[in-house]
Amino acid sequence: MDTFILNWLISVPLFAAPLLIACLGVIVTARAGVLNLGVEGIMALSAAAGVVSVLQGGSLWWALAVAVLCGMLLSAVFGIATVVFKTDQVLSGLIIVAMGEGLSGVLGRGFTHRPITGFESVDFGFLHDLPWVGPIVFGQDILVYVTVLLVALTGYGVHKTFTGLRLRAVGENPSTADTAGVNVTIYRLGAVIIGGALCGFAGAYLSLSAGQVWVEHMVAGRGWIAIALAIFARWMPWRAVVGALIFGGTEAIIPRIQATGADVPVYFLMMLPYLLTLAVLIIPAITSRGSQDDTPAALLTNYLREDRH
Amino acid sequence: MLDLFYLVSRQQVPAWLRLLTFVAGLSTGLLLCTVVLVLSGVSLSDAVNEFVYFVFFNEIGLAQTFTAFVPLALVGLAAAAAIKLRFWNIGVEGQMWVGAILATWVATYDIGPPWLRLVLMFVMAAVGGSLWIAVPAVLKLRFGVNEIITTLLLTYVAFLLVQHLLFGVWRDADTGFPASPAYEPGVEQLAKLGWGNLHQGVWVALGAGVIWWWLMSMSRFGFFMDAVGANAMAAKASGLPVVATIVGAVILSGGLAGVAGLVIVAGQEYRLTQHIAVGYTFSSIVIAFIARFNPIGCLVVALIVGGVYTAGDTLKVFYQLPSATITLLESIILLSLLVAEFFGRYHIGIRRKVPA
Amino acid sequence: MKHHHKALELAGICKEFDGRPALAGAHFEVEWGEVHALLGENGAGKSTLMNVACGLYAPDAGTMAVNGVHSPVAGPADAARHGIGMVHQHFRLVGRFTVAENILLACGEALGVRTSAAAAELLREKSKELSLEIDPDKRIDEISVAEQQRVEVLKMLLLGARILILDEPTAVLTDQEAASVLQLLRNMAGDGCAVVLITHKLREVLGYSDRVTVMRDGQTVLASSSAEGLTREDLARSMVGASTPTPKRESKHLGDVSLKVAGLTVKRSSGGCDVEGVSFEVRGGEIYGIAGVGGNGQPQLVDALIGFSPVAEGEITIDGNTVDTGNVKAFRSNGFRFVPADRFDTGLIADFSAAENFAMTGVPDGRYGNWARVDRKRMRQHVEGAIERYQIQGCLASTKSRLLSGGNAQKLLIARELGEDMSVIVAHSPTRGLDIQAASTVHSLLLNAAAKGIACVLVSEDLEEVLALSDTVSVMSRGRLVGEFAIKDASRERIGELMLGHA
Repeated sequence: MDTFILNWLISVPLFAAPLLIACLGVIVTARAGVLNLGVEGIMALSAAAGVVSVLQGGSLWWALAVAVLCGMLLSAVFGIATVVFKTDQVLSGLIIVAMGEGLSGVLGRGFTHRPITGFESVDFGFLHDLPWVGPIVFGQDILVYVTVLLVALTGYGVHKTFTGLRLRAVGENPSTADTAGVNVTIYRLGAVIIGGALCGFAGAYLSLSAGQVWVEHMVAGRGWIAIALAIFARWMPWRAVVGALIFGGTEAIIPRIQATGADVPVYFLMMLPYLLTLAVLIIPAITSRGSQDDTPAALLTNYLREDRH
Repeated sequence: MLDLFYLVSRQQVPAWLRLLTFVAGLSTGLLLCTVVLVLSGVSLSDAVNEFVYFVFFNEIGLAQTFTAFVPLALVGLAAAAAIKLRFWNIGVEGQMWVGAILATWVATYDIGPPWLRLVLMFVMAAVGGSLWIAVPAVLKLRFGVNEIITTLLLTYVAFLLVQHLLFGVWRDADTGFPASPAYEPGVEQLAKLGWGNLHQGVWVALGAGVIWWWLMSMSRFGFFMDAVGANAMAAKASGLPVVATIVGAVILSGGLAGVAGLVIVAGQEYRLTQHIAVGYTFSSIVIAFIARFNPIGCLVVALIVGGVYTAGDTLKVFYQLPSATITLLESIILLSLLVAEFFGRYHIGIRRKVPA
Repeated sequence: MKHHHKALELAGICKEFDGRPALAGAHFEVEWGEVHALLGENGAGKSTLMNVACGLYAPDAGTMAVNGVHSPVAGPADAARHGIGMVHQHFRLVGRFTVAENILLACGEALGVRTSAAAAELLREKSKELSLEIDPDKRIDEISVAEQQRVEVLKMLLLGARILILDEPTAVLTDQEAASVLQLLRNMAGDGCAVVLITHKLREVLGYSDRVTVMRDGQTVLASSSAEGLTREDLARSMVGASTPTPKRESKHLGDVSLKVAGLTVKRSSGGCDVEGVSFEVRGGEIYGIAGVGGNGQPQLVDALIGFSPVAEGEITIDGNTVDTGNVKAFRSNGFRFVPADRFDTGLIADFSAAENFAMTGVPDGRYGNWARVDRKRMRQHVEGAIERYQIQGCLASTKSRLLSGGNAQKLLIARELGEDMSVIVAHSPTRGLDIQAASTVHSLLLNAAAKGIACVLVSEDLEEVLALSDTVSVMSRGRLVGEFAIKDASRERIGELMLGHA
């Protein structure tokens, strides 16, 4: 039983990290008043781009950079459409999902099911030999530690800096921010692209580290779960950590149970993350209706300066 | 630099401008699509040949296009019904799966007399789709849970349910493939019309379109839908049955999607497989938006998208292009159209320097 | 300090919105050290002109000079550099930020401040200097409107504005609060600032301004006239063009009690009450006015009175029949009619034609065709009749109501609501945003309805309106009715005190 729990806990970060990074991307974007529903597509494209880069002879870090860049480019398409051309955010997000999945399919044609050597765990020397804590905390790959760093950076940037204040003002009340001399277009575009970079990172993590292979549809709804997680986290980075660990824990337990060879209906087991996401959306809605609504007030609304009221 | 331009919303977009932006958006989209195809190794003449000539002007191709049209028309109507009321049904595929499961259940266990079997399959498919959308509908209307995510997540759940069945009780004993036993010809299959693979389902799609058109343009329910879609608050304050209208439209949406699942299993595949509903969600949105939720428009756009599907099948065989290519092309076209609308909705002014 | 130049000069300013001219060659000037009132009706172009002055709108034509120097103002930041500051009618504050954070947002860059603690310090100094009390650590949505306005003024001054533009600063204040703001502006002018006071209240012009400019239809009709020696009548005439008759109230006989509201309580979703224990009675033919500063639970009370939202406690009865609360249909079938504050929010559907909007309430009960076929011809006929009876201008049966002017849209709405079988009218700020003529038409329509024996509830933030129309006035403060007067006993001062919450 101990080995079961230990193996499970060791694998939790592997599942939690991509969700968490993508969720951070959603949060940064949403704080500027833009909901990018395209996460699923951005992750798909970046996951494919990462593996293709490696299979083309690139290094892992190079592949990561390519994936992040792809995330930025695809989110820039979304940003230019919604922020500059004022297209509907929901519809544009869905288009980005389709575009990302489509691009990943076209780009990754011929590269599916070809395993790669991904990021390996960092060598912390003797620390790794500590009981329990060693393998769990000091046995992860480098990207997990980068993720921790990213959470801290995002949390600090959004909530503690002047730029973060301006970013949040754009998401709460863009006309006020505009009057205060904040360039709403630039801030929103910037937030969308930074968010896209984070989602790209998350996608790359899936293929370069967690899966070490690329197959179509490998993102399997994680982009959507990340959005649900952001709602659950009430758009706050540190709360997203809690959520991501719960989700990562749930996802991680599925292969562990399968590995024991226990006779459980495997497809029902695989429904768990989706059902959990539903639960996470429903429970707060039922228990604390309306109270503590932290959603950025201008979320989903496009800003137009010369609009007459 | 960005301060150089300013925007003013137009109170009313003149018809010519709307047409112009549509044509411009479509042309841009088609151009971009051509670029994508050429970059993927399809020659220009082949692309034109496959996407225009074969699918619309060749008898075999047109029959395939019409066959693809049947489920597309149904999902397009399904998306239009719900999204018109600002209920984002992003779970059309899930509703198709559940519709197909219930229909297959009727077929596999020979429920009801043979002469009633198909009707029963239809009813169960519609019920299945409606049930699957009822969950997000209740969650949204009762608890305010965002339906975009719930409808979408339930698609994954539905697909896993299909896999559970296909790798379990329904696995074809003869072949061992993850597919349900074949439907019985004449009893559980929609009859072919003698033109390619086109089957009776086409009447269902056309009928649904016409009925939906009558509902929207003439009936009281259609008037309520217009009002609720345009401004639910004002509709409620005016004493209109807002919740009932939303529930009605959303249930119909799910039902139509369920039937779309049925026409594929009973008209094309003759069994439940793992591949029937893939890619339909986004197509349904494309169709609904390009048609601006107009039922007859949905039929027309669905036919065109059907042509794209047919061409995509050919390209898959000859160029090994993945089916995701179709989704990519659709997304490019829809985004181009959306962006083009901007130039109609706003008057763009250039900030004049005030003379010093 | 002696200035040779005018503080701000605008000449020949033109601005169109989608082909509709909002400004047609308007001009305006303000001197250092004066309070200059910019007077005009709603839609006369006052706010648009000042939005041009502070760089928010780009003019199509015209010139602008700040302290004698011709300079185009490109954007709000540029305006601040020119020493121009504006307090908009809708405050430019972020509700979820604290006062200090708002100051940091607006002034951080200009003042080189990067933390909200430093911003709070600056704010304390400035507010002490002006003896304006403000707590920097409170959230904006926790403080009163008057306090929010103080934040706006401080913000402007911290940015070093010497040309201060205030758009309707007293619109949502009680008389007492308004007086203190206006006095503050006088003091600022005394310090040498140029103050522009946009208003449509004649009282403020006569009591607090040095000079006045009047605008009408996007043009300047009275330029920089000394306020001294002007009478209300002079100003009113130049504002409207022609004098409008104020609707006359005839002495009338009130009927029996028709509408009874008892112990109405509406809970807030986040805890607490928006409306608490509200009880009143309205007789047939009576107009029952509820005055109060905005944000004291009026929208929630109105929503409860038309069945739009559920109530936690309380009972509403009409002629002895209890109405099922939280059910619009039950209210409507009991003869409740509704004239909302925002016509395109809960009244008309902007994208519907006049005919559809007019007929909308009759569709569910089968007045226009059956379930299978909606009778659009009948809709057209009916609305055409109404357009003629109510003189709704620029309106055909097929006109999208979005394209109607505010006054005509309101007339269309009233034409629909004041139909047959009505027993109660609930009107919520029915003339908000309307010009004087349209407002007086709306007032006459309400008075006519009352004259027919209908019980009217008039909830309005405009005290003048309440006093002009009501038979009984009551005051709403923090979700409660805190005082009720027959119109002959109502005094402005007493009502003002109650509105402030000094019960």
